[in-house]
Amino acid sequence: MIWKGVKQNVTMFTSFLKQKDAVVITGLAVALVVVFLFSLSIGQMFIPVKEIGVIFLKKLGLFTSVETDSVHETVLWSIRLPRLVMTTLIGVALGVSGAALQGLFRNPLVEPGLIGVSSGASLAVVSVIVFGAWLGLDQHSLGMSVIMPLFAFGGGLLATLFVMQIGRSMGPSSIAMLILAGVAVNALCGAAMGLAIFNASENQLHMFMFWTLGDLGGANWSALAVASPVLLVGSIFLLRYSNALNAIALGESEAFHMGVDVNRVKKSIVFLSALTVGTSVSMAGAIGFVGLVVPHLVRVTLHSDNKLVMPASAIGGPLLLILADMVARTMYAPTELPIGVMTALIGTPFFIFLLIRSRRKNEMVG
Amino acid sequence: MIAAKQLSITRNGRRLLNGVNLEVHPGKFTAIAGPNGAGKTSLLKAISGESTYDEGELTINGTPANKYNPSSLSKVRSVLPQSSHMQFPFSVEQVVRLGNNSHTTVAEAMELTGVTEWRRRNYLTLSGGEQQRVQLARVLAQVWEIRNYPRYVLLDEPTSSLDLAQQQLIFSLVKHACERNIGVLAIVHDLNQVVQFADNLYFLKDGGVVANGNPKEIFTKKIIEETFCCKVNVYHDPCTDCPYIVPDKNLIQSPLKPVKTVNA
Repeated sequence: MIWKGVKQNVTMFTSFLKQKDAVVITGLAVALVVVFLFSLSIGQMFIPVKEIGVIFLKKLGLFTSVETDSVHETVLWSIRLPRLVMTTLIGVALGVSGAALQGLFRNPLVEPGLIGVSSGASLAVVSVIVFGAWLGLDQHSLGMSVIMPLFAFGGGLLATLFVMQIGRSMGPSSIAMLILAGVAVNALCGAAMGLAIFNASENQLHMFMFWTLGDLGGANWSALAVASPVLLVGSIFLLRYSNALNAIALGESEAFHMGVDVNRVKKSIVFLSALTVGTSVSMAGAIGFVGLVVPHLVRVTLHSDNKLVMPASAIGGPLLLILADMVARTMYAPTELPIGVMTALIGTPFFIFLLIRSRRKNEMVG
Repeated sequence: MIAAKQLSITRNGRRLLNGVNLEVHPGKFTAIAGPNGAGKTSLLKAISGESTYDEGELTINGTPANKYNPSSLSKVRSVLPQSSHMQFPFSVEQVVRLGNNSHTTVAEAMELTGVTEWRRRNYLTLSGGEQQRVQLARVLAQVWEIRNYPRYVLLDEPTSSLDLAQQQLIFSLVKHACERNIGVLAIVHDLNQVVQFADNLYFLKDGGVVANGNPKEIFTKKIIEETFCCKVNVYHDPCTDCPYIVPDKNLIQSPLKPVKTVNA
C-alpha cells in the first residue's frame, strides 16, 4: 500500500518534470549527497566515511559496541554536522530565492542582495549585535538565536518592500528603476551599518568583517533548531511557484490571463524570500553570488523552465556552497577564509565559461 | 455569451468608455474597429478582467465577471495581447505549454498555427511575426479543449505584425476556433478583412459604439466616414460578395489641417 503511494508520487514527479530533467535533478541530488559526505570527512582532522557511518548508526542506537574515536565523534557531531546542515539549508534558501526573485522581476541580474533583502537583514543583525551587547545579551544565547532571525527577516522584508515601492512608483515594468532603488537602499543600509560599526568594539569589528563576507563557522544545534524549519518550509513553499513564475516570464498581464493571481504570487515570493534569506543572514552573514549564479548556471547549461530551474537551484545552491566551504576551511587551515570570497572565486570562472559557451547554442533550447 | 451592458470606464478624469453595450456569442467572430483612442483596448482589458470598470454590468456565460477568480477566468477565456516580451530563453514548445499542460492539445495548437517545426527553437530568436504565431498557439491551447461551457478568445490586433499570408492564416484559425464553439472577440484595423471574416462588427469612437451588426450591412460609406473622420469609397467585390473600402487620399478630413481638394 505504502509502496503504491510512493510509486504514484514518483510517477507524478517524473511526469511533472520532463524525463531528461528528472535525470538532471536526480544526478544533482546524488552529487550533493556525495559532496556532503566527503565534506564531513575532510578538515583539519580526517574522519573516514566508514567511521562517519558507524557514528551515525551509534547515535541511532545501533552498533553501540563498535569502538569509534571519541574526538572524531565530538568533531563530527558538534562541529562538522551542524555546520554542513546549516550550509546545505542556506544553500537551498539562497538558490531557490535567487531563482524565484529573478523569475518574479523578470530579470536575470536580480539576486537577493540586489533588491535589498541581504543588506536589510544584515543591518538588522548588526544592530541586534551592537544594541544587544549594550543590553547585555550574549550573541550565542538561545534568546539571541530566536531574536536574530526575526530581526533579520523583518529587516530584509522592510528593505525589499521599500525597494519595490520606489520601483512601482515609476511604473509596473520599470526594472531599471527597481535596480537603482535596490542600489540606493543597499547604500543606505551600508551607511547605517557603518554607523553601527563606528560604535562597535574591537571584537565586534572582526565579527562584522566576517559577517559581511559570510561566515559559516558559528553553526550550532540550538540555532539550527530555530532556523531550519523556517529555511526548509520557506524554500519548499517557494518551489510551489515554479508554474506561476513560468507564466510571469511572459509578462504580468499575460500571467493574469493564464490564471495566475499575480499580486498574491508577488507578495508571497517577496515575503518568503525575505524570510529565508533574512534567516540565512542571521546565521551566516550575507553570502553573495549563490542566489545570482546558480539559477543562471541551470538556465545556461539546461533550459529556462522554472519547473527545472527552481528545484535544480535548490540542489545546486548547497552544492556550490558546500564545495566553497570545503575549500575555505581547508586551504589555509587552521585559518578559515570568508565563504563569500570562495563562492565568487569558484563560481565566477565557471560562470564566465558557460556564458561564452551559451552564445554558441543560443538558437536551440530545451 | 459575454455580455457588456452600459460599460463605462473613467481614468484620471477622462472617459475612456461611455455606456458600451456589446455581446460576444460562442461560435461567432465578433470584431471591434475604430480610430486610435476610441477605447478598443480599454474595452478588451475590461472584458478580459485585467482592468476594472466603473459603471455597467459584465457577465460571462451568465455569471458576473467579478465572480470569477484568475484561475476560473483562465478556463473560460484566453487573451492575446498586442505584444509580449519574454525575458528568458524559453523554447517555442515551452511558451505554448504555458497555455495548457496537455501534450495532445499543445501539439494540436502548434500544428494548427504552423509552429511545430520550430518547437525546440529559442523563442527570443524568432521574428516579431513568428513570435505572434507562437503566442496565438499558446492562446488557442488554453481554451482549445472542448468543455461543457462556452470558451472565448480575446485578440488585441492579432495581425498587426504579420504579412498578408500570415494574416489570412490567423483569420482562418479564428474561423476554425469558432467551429469548436469558441467565441472570438478581436480588435482589427484592416476593415476589408473584417468584413470578410467577422460575424459581428462594432464600430467604436470616443468610447462609445457608433454602429454594430452584420459587417456587410453596416459597412457603409456614411458610417465609416463618421467613425474614422476620413473620406472613403465603398465598392462591391463580386468575387467575395463583400463590400470593400478604398480611402480617398485627396479628401482627408483633418481637424488640425484641412486639405483643400484640387479639381483636375
